[in-house]
Amino acid sequence: MDIVSTQALGKRYGSTTVVDDLHLRIPEGCVYGFLGPNGSGKSTTMKMLLSLIAPTSGRIELFGRPMTRETRRDLLAGVGSLIEAPPGYGHLTGAENLRIVQRSLGLRNDQVERAVRTVRLQDQMDKKVRHYSLGMKQRLGIAMALAREPRLLILDEPTNGLDPAGIEEIRGLLRHLASNGVTVMVSSHLLGEIDKTADVLGILSGGRMIFQGSRTDLTSAVTPDVLIDTVDPSRVGPVLRKDLPARVDGHTVRVSGIDDRTTARVVEDLVGAGAGVFGVRRDEQSLEDVFMSLTSGGRP
Amino acid sequence: MTTETRSVHSVRLEPGAATLLRNEIAKCRHLRIGLVTALLAVGIVGLTLVGTLAGASTDGDLTAALPLAGLSLAVPVASPVILAILASRAVDIEHQGGGWLLGRTTGVAPGRLCRAKLGVLAAAVAVGTGGASVVVALLTRALGATGPVPVSLWLGYTVAAIVVSLVVLAVQVLISARIDNQLIPLGVGIVGTVVAIAASAFPSWAAHLTPWGYWSLIAAADYAGESVVTLQPSYVSVVALALLATAGVVVATRRLDRQEV
Repeated sequence: MDIVSTQALGKRYGSTTVVDDLHLRIPEGCVYGFLGPNGSGKSTTMKMLLSLIAPTSGRIELFGRPMTRETRRDLLAGVGSLIEAPPGYGHLTGAENLRIVQRSLGLRNDQVERAVRTVRLQDQMDKKVRHYSLGMKQRLGIAMALAREPRLLILDEPTNGLDPAGIEEIRGLLRHLASNGVTVMVSSHLLGEIDKTADVLGILSGGRMIFQGSRTDLTSAVTPDVLIDTVDPSRVGPVLRKDLPARVDGHTVRVSGIDDRTTARVVEDLVGAGAGVFGVRRDEQSLEDVFMSLTSGGRP
Repeated sequence: MTTETRSVHSVRLEPGAATLLRNEIAKCRHLRIGLVTALLAVGIVGLTLVGTLAGASTDGDLTAALPLAGLSLAVPVASPVILAILASRAVDIEHQGGGWLLGRTTGVAPGRLCRAKLGVLAAAVAVGTGGASVVVALLTRALGATGPVPVSLWLGYTVAAIVVSLVVLAVQVLISARIDNQLIPLGVGIVGTVVAIAASAFPSWAAHLTPWGYWSLIAAADYAGESVVTLQPSYVSVVALALLATAGVVVATRRLDRQEV
């Protein structure tokens, strides 16, 4: 079951389209990595899911129920979130901050204590939040979101500004939450920050979803270039068809976006022309390369 | 347990008014709201006493109207900036701590949050201003004022002064909520002081134009040449201001509630 789904979700400010025709599918129990460069519409999408802003078009379903004015209150009771900067009144202690959330939501003490233990902040609760490090503030924000025992946790760039240890700590926390049945939607503009944690990835560019699926799907979404090593590159030019996106780099011919059948034909042509083919391989691509290729206007 | 029942029953969004007020009182911890309110009261009493004693020394006699004139001048001098400080301190924590967004995710829209803040601060300001008025009244007797104390006038003035103060407080809370940079609402408080002091020299219609001007309209006593005379506060104006301000607060906070983040 999809815990979140959207149909043709869109948001426009005047003539500027921020999110366009978004079909989001978040399966229950997964960590969903929501990726895209800054300004791609991730935060706007998350805010629409949380009813913080109203969509211009489209529909949202949470927990299998459509989000409407009537259902919104019920549905959002099951959603914890951390949007933009982590919340926290600096002049109050961590415990006092959580007590405000506890009172607002009518939570029991054990729910709050469990959330605090989950983010391992139990020894820092009597310290004023203004004296917290950024990582501690993030953890407090996550504890506030977790205290209601949500089925869905929406985290907007929770690793922003954290050092590598802090990032790893958040990753571990996300894995822990997912293993306990919480569906986590986490956004980032850096693939490397969440690709090891996310089960499903959604990539947004210019407000449009350009990819949604597993990491394996992502790698195969962009066909790697074919590299053909030749002994005599001067014989390559006349052979290659003009519609093939190819370029010669030294003794290597790089051909983009061709399938295996076309690769075989190109190699056959080069051999026939006497180019002396001695190596054929696909260029290895990291997930980061694929991500960059997709978000910089490359093919989905 | 079905998915629906769990999402419905695990927590409740949109807490009641009592919970909101308790939260706002809790947030006031370490903000020195009590101290600033005490400063308001001390400021009003202090300025009233200075004015009264200065007036008494030239007059040679201390009538009960003299402290009332001092009070009518001290309230507009002491209140605007302190009200701006109170509002700014209570609201700025929401800007700094991501409180508006946190409130929304717990079912408390910004306008509702502002109304709760206004409720808590209003209680403090009412106690501060009303308390100062009572202290001045008691001191009037202790200082040996002659003639009867105009109790109904004093009471009327005190209530009217509290109403005007609450309207100004509401304006300051709304400005502080709309503007991140709290120097601006504090600047408005300073300008408000100038308007409040100068308004006694304004024609009546001009004093009606800003909330700060209403303090001059409710003055219960003033100097007429060398002597002090009691005045009739413009209660109608204050009631009209209160009604207009209530409507304005409702409209402005509902607009804040609908505002996207």
